[in-house]
Amino acid sequence: MKILTRIILPAIVVLLSITFPLFAGPYQQSIAKTIIIYMILALSWNILLKTGQISFGLAGFFGIGAYASVLLSLRLGIPPLLTIIVGGIITAILAAAMGMIILRLRAMYFAITTLALGEIFRVIIHNLPNFAGGAHGLILSSVIFDGNGYFTYWLFLAGAFFSIGLSYFFDKSKFHLALTTIRDNEITAKVRGIDIFKYLLIVFTITAGMQGLAGGLYSQSFGFVTPESSFSGDFILLPIAMALLGGIYTTAGPVVGAIVLGVISEYLKLYIPYGHLVVYGLIIVIVILFMPNGIVGMCSNTFRKVDQFNE
Amino acid sequence: MELSECAVIHLERWINSMSNLEIRNLTKRFAGLVAVNNVDLSFGGDEIVGIIGPNGAGKTTLINLVSGIFYPTSGQILMDGVDITTMPAHKRTQLGVGRTFQLIHPLEDLSTIENIMIGFIFSQGFSKKVAKEKSEILCKSLDLERWNRSVSQLTILEIKKMEIAQALATNPGVLFLDEVMAGLNSDELKELIGLIKKLAKEKTIAIGIVEHVMGVIKELADRVVVLENGAILADGSFKAVMKNPDVIAAYLGGGNYA
Repeated sequence: MKILTRIILPAIVVLLSITFPLFAGPYQQSIAKTIIIYMILALSWNILLKTGQISFGLAGFFGIGAYASVLLSLRLGIPPLLTIIVGGIITAILAAAMGMIILRLRAMYFAITTLALGEIFRVIIHNLPNFAGGAHGLILSSVIFDGNGYFTYWLFLAGAFFSIGLSYFFDKSKFHLALTTIRDNEITAKVRGIDIFKYLLIVFTITAGMQGLAGGLYSQSFGFVTPESSFSGDFILLPIAMALLGGIYTTAGPVVGAIVLGVISEYLKLYIPYGHLVVYGLIIVIVILFMPNGIVGMCSNTFRKVDQFNE
Repeated sequence: MELSECAVIHLERWINSMSNLEIRNLTKRFAGLVAVNNVDLSFGGDEIVGIIGPNGAGKTTLINLVSGIFYPTSGQILMDGVDITTMPAHKRTQLGVGRTFQLIHPLEDLSTIENIMIGFIFSQGFSKKVAKEKSEILCKSLDLERWNRSVSQLTILEIKKMEIAQALATNPGVLFLDEVMAGLNSDELKELIGLIKKLAKEKTIAIGIVEHVMGVIKELADRVVVLENGAILADGSFKAVMKNPDVIAAYLGGGNYA
């Protein structure tokens, strides 16, 4: 049983995800890429949630990463692949600087501040017409890999694996214990030797870097950035809905949630244009009310019961 | 403080395995209320000091000041000669200031063993694997056998032991126990008293124990400090303190009204 779930099943999933473009058309590939973008955002949001802090700054850092990447290739002529990575690093550095100040806040004060910061970035970009294209945004002369679907998909997939790996690290290393302790009780964390601020800053910086990376992937594959699309509220609401649906505090949760909700939303878009947002809202409400541990939590509970029954 | 300095102190403590806490003229004001008033107290080695006093006397506030939950209005706290008055709580823990809490709050999202491991990992810097081994040994020494259970399945005595283990995992030289006996029956009391005695003598931990049950203080304390309205009223052996007319007055409403 363990070999099946630990090795064979993940191996099949990895193999399928790598060979996906060989048997799927361009439309399916583009859905997969969208799902991966949201998956990275959902994973990063979930890592910070492990500390008990809710961030609404996803779209802000996503937009920063997107703009940084495009600006680096337009102004400095750096190759696209490198701009995505450097864009992520720039976002992380910016987040670290801001984290020094805002990580002294907690709960809703922190959440609201991150939301406001994202909005401030958007307004700043809006008011930089010469440097950042203002309201019109910026257009790249060509998209990454000259639009080669296979390579673009595999690049996205690499980003997904990287993010899953990071999230797994935060689940299995001593970070898991530090973050969970901070979430459960900050006073206990302090008197047991945990430097709360240090851990929050590390996590905030890394997750913002992931969000910046997702932004870079997005802008380099679509070839443009605008304040409205790159800082869109979709990049806040959807990843959060996905993480909640899949199951928070786990790595599998946001992954499963992103795939399920991503596929559902594609179908919904065909039948009820823009109505899919209503459905997201409903999903969040239903999940919070009836399955607070999400899909993954529900499944692992069932497995545990089956195991206990077998014993 | 530099990390190397911390390391030196760790080393010194390991060599002497004796710690000394010194509190000088410590005062804490909350707006108009003086919660701790000019307290001078020093203890160390394997001494067990009972800290008693009526409700609101400032016992828990004193512990909060020493462990870094609050910062004092004035005064000084020295741990092994190092001034820790303005040091953040996690650094004090790493220097050997340990405590438990009056209101038990185990970390519900972690297993029992993980609750204990955090001290070994974050205060002493052990890896997860080593921390787990050390936690299991610690659990065995405390007769806390069900360490793989989730915290919600533990009895009150087990939770109290777990909290003590959590504090011990930080390798304290001075350990404050804030009403650990509350809610235990007489058999459990006896067990925990024996355990605390053993801890102080075998591991050379200086223990400051806040307690309302006088039997426990009588049994355990080498020395008793009585607080009233934030100030020290009496300091001495259990017998001497119990005969002190000021103490009797503080507890019983005393001579003035009789």
